[in-house]
This record gives sequence, C-alpha cells and structure tokens, in this order.
Amino acid sequence: MMKFKSLAGSVALSGVSVLALAGAAEAQTTITIWSLDDENQPALNLAQEFSDMDNGITVEYREIQFDDVVSESMRAFATGQAPDIIAVDNPEHALFASRGAFLDITDMVAESDVIDPDNYFPGPLASVTWDGKLYGLPKATNTIALYYNKDMFEAAGLDPEDPPATWDELVEAARTLTDPDNNVYGLAFSAKASEEGTFQFLPWAQMAGGGYDNLNAPGVVEALEIWETILDERLASPDSLTRGQWDSTGTFNSGNAAMAISGPWEINRMLEEAQFDWGVTLLPVPEEGAERSSAMGDFNWAIFSTTEHPEEAFQAIEYFASQDDRLFPEFGQLPARSDIEIPETGEPLKDAALEVFLEQLQYAKPRGPHPEWPQISRAIQDAIQATLTGQMTAQAALDQAQATVDGVLE
Amino acid sequence: MNRVISSFRDGKGFDIALVGAALLFLGIFAGLPLVYNVVMSFQAVDMFSLGTFARPFVGFDNYIAVFSEPIFWPVMRNTVVFVVASIGGQFVIGFGLALFFTLKFPGSTYLRGLFLVSWVMPGLVVGAIWNWILAGDFGVLNFALTGLGIIEDNIFWRSDTAFSLWAVIIANIWLGTSFNMILLSVGLASIPRDLYEAAALDGANGWQRFWTITLPMMRATIGAVISLGLIFTLQQFDLFAAITSGGPANSSNVAQYWAWDFSFRQYDFAKGATISVLMIALVMVASVIYVRSTRHEVRG
Repeated sequence: MMKFKSLAGSVALSGVSVLALAGAAEAQTTITIWSLDDENQPALNLAQEFSDMDNGITVEYREIQFDDVVSESMRAFATGQAPDIIAVDNPEHALFASRGAFLDITDMVAESDVIDPDNYFPGPLASVTWDGKLYGLPKATNTIALYYNKDMFEAAGLDPEDPPATWDELVEAARTLTDPDNNVYGLAFSAKASEEGTFQFLPWAQMAGGGYDNLNAPGVVEALEIWETILDERLASPDSLTRGQWDSTGTFNSGNAAMAISGPWEINRMLEEAQFDWGVTLLPVPEEGAERSSAMGDFNWAIFSTTEHPEEAFQAIEYFASQDDRLFPEFGQLPARSDIEIPETGEPLKDAALEVFLEQLQYAKPRGPHPEWPQISRAIQDAIQATLTGQMTAQAALDQAQATVDGVLE
Repeated sequence: MNRVISSFRDGKGFDIALVGAALLFLGIFAGLPLVYNVVMSFQAVDMFSLGTFARPFVGFDNYIAVFSEPIFWPVMRNTVVFVVASIGGQFVIGFGLALFFTLKFPGSTYLRGLFLVSWVMPGLVVGAIWNWILAGDFGVLNFALTGLGIIEDNIFWRSDTAFSLWAVIIANIWLGTSFNMILLSVGLASIPRDLYEAAALDGANGWQRFWTITLPMMRATIGAVISLGLIFTLQQFDLFAAITSGGPANSSNVAQYWAWDFSFRQYDFAKGATISVLMIALVMVASVIYVRSTRHEVRG
C-alpha cells in the first residue's frame, strides 16, 4: 500500500494485544499475526473474528507501523522470534520468499477448497510468486489513475467528459489549466525520493515499453522528459519532488491543482474535502492504442517458514480469503480478485471512480518481484530526482540507473 | 579476605568499585554496540545474518564501496556544511540571547524558560511544523518574505537543490538555540561580578569587558556547548526525515541520513555501519581537540 498518512505515526509505539483468551479448558493453539491494520482496517477485525471462532486457535495480533514492517520482521526472523503470519508490502515479498523465510504454500493452496489462484489478478499473484511457487496470498490491491476537476475543465474550455488520454494531451491540458495567478497547478503527482516516486514513475516506463530492468529504453527517456517538462514549465508544484502522494492530492482537493495522479485510497477523503465535481480516468498512455500499465500497491499475506503451526496459520489465511467480498463495502479496500463483484455504494462519484480503478487494475504490474528491490527502486528514484532538478539529462540519468540495476541483477 | 574488606574501608577499593560499576555500564551499553558496529563494517552482512556474529569478513570492501559511491563526497560536504552552519547559528544566537537575559528585566527568567519549549518538542513534530512553514506554494515563510518585499517569487525551500540543506539547517538552528542559551546562561552566571566592577573602574568599555573577561572565563562552557552541539547535530535525523528526506537529488543528504537509508531502506547493514564508523571517527577527533583545549582549565 502506498499510503503514508503521517511520519509521526511511524514512531508511535506498536501495541500488542491478545485478542482472545477464551476456551482455557481445551488445548488452544496460539498463532501470532503482525500487520499494519488498525481497528478500521480489515486484518485486525478478521483476525479477531477468526480467534473468536470455536476452532481451537487463538490469535495474538500485533499492529506494526508501515516503516517498521520489514526491519522488525527481519530482526524477529534472525533471532528466531518471527510471527506465524505477516502482512508485507508487495515489493518486499520477494526479499523474504527468495531467502526461504516464507513458507511455500503451493501444495496447501492446491488442496484448498477456499483459495483458487486463478481468481486473482495476475499482478498481485506475481508478487507472491517466486521461482514458480506460491509464497503467500495477496491481501488487497490498489493502483493509480488520473483524477481531474471537472469544474476547472469546463471553466478552461475543456470537455469534462473527454479527459486526457495520451501523454501529449495530458501536458496540453495541464498547460491550459495551470493558472499561477489563482495558485492553480495543472497537475499534482509525487516524484519523491522514496518508494512513492518509483511507484508513480514505473507505470510510465512500462507503458513506453521499458521496465525496471530496461530503464534507458527510448520510451522511458521520453517519459522522464515529459515529467521534466511538467516541472520546468511549472505545470506541477516544484514541491512534487519532496511531497508524497497523500499531500500532493491534498492540493487537488483544495482546488490548487486541476488534475492529480493517485490511488483509490484518496476517494473517501476527496468526497469529504473536494467542493467541486470530479472524475477519474485511466492513466494516459504514450500514444493512442499503446499498451496500458499501472502501478500495483498494497500488502500480501505470508506465513513464516519458522512457524510451528503451518496448518493453523493457513486456516487463518483461508478465512481471510473467504471474507474478501467484505473488503470494499466494510473497509474501502479492493480485493485482488477478479471473481468478486464490488457492490454499488449509491454514491455516484465513488461508483464511477471505482469502475475506472477496477479497469486500471487489470493493467497493474508488480514492482519486481526481485529480492533486491529496494536497491533497484533507489536507482530509479535517483534518476528521477537528478533529471527533475536539472543535474543530469534524462538519458544520462537513466543510463546511470540502468548500470546500477544491471549490477544488482547480475 | 580481610585485606579486601579493609581496602573498602580505607577508600581505595571503594573507589575502584565505583569506577568499575561505571565502566561496566559503559562497556555493556556503549562499548559493545560500538564494537559490534565496527565489526559489522568489516563483514558481509545480510538481513538474515543479523542475529549472529559469525559472518564472513570482507576486509575493507565496505569502505571501498562507500568511498566509491558517486554521492560520497557531496554527502560529506553537506554533512560538514550542516554541522558548521547549525552549530554556528545555534551558538551565536544562543550566546546573544544568554547575554540579553543577563540584563534582568522584569519577566526575564520566565521568558528564558519559555525558550526551552523548542528543545522539549520531539524532532519529528518540529520537522512537521517547519515542513508547513517552508512549503513552497503556501508556506508562511514565503508569505512573510514576499510581504516584506524581500523576495518576488516563492522560494521552494524543500525542493530547490540550492536551498534544501538550508531549510533543514534553519529548522535545526531553531531547535537547538535554546539549549545553547541555557548552558551559556549558566556559564555567564558563574563569572564573579567583581571582575566586571574592577574592569569598569579601570575604564574598560562593554566591548572590552566582553573580549577580556566574558569570553576567556567562558572558555570551558563554550567548549562543552560546542562539542555537545557537534554530537547533537551529527545525531539530527528526524528533521531530515520530516522535511526533505535527503532530497531532492541528495542535495540535503547527510552522513547520518545516508547511513539510515543504507541500513533500513536498502537493507545494506554493512554500508550503514561503515558510514557510522566514519562518523564515530569524526566525533573522536573533535573530542580529542575539546579535551586538549580544556585540559589546563581550572574552574572555581
């Protein structure tokens, strides 16, 4: 999941809570689950329900902060204190799977009546797969698309029902919509030097025929040059370089940006804050008819290979998967599955947005999967930032990034 | 046995026990992690061998790798600029305020106490607040500067490579000034009044009294303030994480943030440890200079 509400939250102490201590009479198996979900999000609630069921299994749930997930679980694994189940960000999955830290659940899934891998979107499924085997299950998924302010489109003489579909149209629309006198930028997005920057740029590279292992393809250079144009002409705030997606989209909600690239996690806040008519459209492509692509976010479930209760842990994951149809209605998250009908909410803006995101999801591609993903991602971020600050040309920056990635891949 | 007990009574053994307790504490809580860090910088470390000491030694490979990173020298330069400018700003403003509050006007002690608020606040909170102040489009600082006619176009403090490091320095000066002020105030209060009276009788003006009495008498305090400042500044991580994340394009990346980035973003613990060792070496050099400069000091 690419959602960073506040840095302050990351230092808040993680709490441990034993959800249920009932059934002391019979022998109880206790499994531990670590996840970043709080009481408004699925994992904690589903874990509670599973624990309360009369199945002889008690769940000990620990909430961990986004920034701590990998380092905490790494430390725990290295010292033999890993939990049974963990929710891990999808680009980090391969890091653990490739080192045998996660349990291979291919056979368990094959025998399961509840889980059928064919029902999952290909992107999320690829992120839990390593060397042809399943090392986990997608927990939920998300992607990014283009939000736009219909009122501003109309005021600027653009057709609100015909939003930009190609990169050139996007830049043109941004030029028309940018209005410095009224503090309005054409576009809001994030080119931050963090995983968020990679998350936003990679889809552009993939649409242009490139990818994390082919960063200096001509199309990718062109994509980065378009980003450069957007910043050089001040079609987006220079603070896009240091601002995450959540804060950038905040400027869209307040009417200071006419378009924004972000994900479905923005919808609820936008409904509350935005005092204008808005819509969502698919991420623009290089030219008409070009291959579509988008980013793929959110977390995966995995069982640590050190668990003493693999059966019970898998039962828990089966239960979570069986409740996937509740993800959207109750928690506003998108299940990573194509076999689940998302019910209408009755909120027209939300339903329209959801439809676009569901279509966009079919084109979502995982980052990697590769065990050294953080280093690859860092090379991509460095290239983005060096280009956008004018320190290097897009070509030189991406050549350098590709050289770094080659070093990692070999 | 008797000798051991009596040695406690005559004081010598007791002294040794006291020193031993302190050394033991230091050894466990400061020495071991330090050694662990140094050892790690000579090993090939990987996330799954974190829990053990038995890792392959690779000699100076980590050091060579860190030194040959293209951003090594820029990061070192940023670190030096950050440390010198932060300490300079904190010290000059802190000293000025400390002198100001010796004037004993009504309410001066309360006001001085209020200044400590900045020191009490957690770095991340300070960072979040400065983030808003320094924001390019709607930041208060830009609003004030344009209002005063000092600048015409907004300065993107966080996102312009020419300003990003200074954005963090400004926030850090604000954060550390009050601590400097309090320590220096204490030093000022311990200078005997009669020295100033004698100097005034001899006809020394305020400027001369400052250079010939205040500064020399404050030497030890100033040394302590600056070496503590060096340590606090090299520890400053929160502000970078909250304001610029070391960006854009590493223009505000400093050694301590880089070390964290290696260890906890790229999971390359060996390189993270290597940078920490380099920083420890730097602090050690500074401490030696400080200790030498105050060795002959007699306080009373």
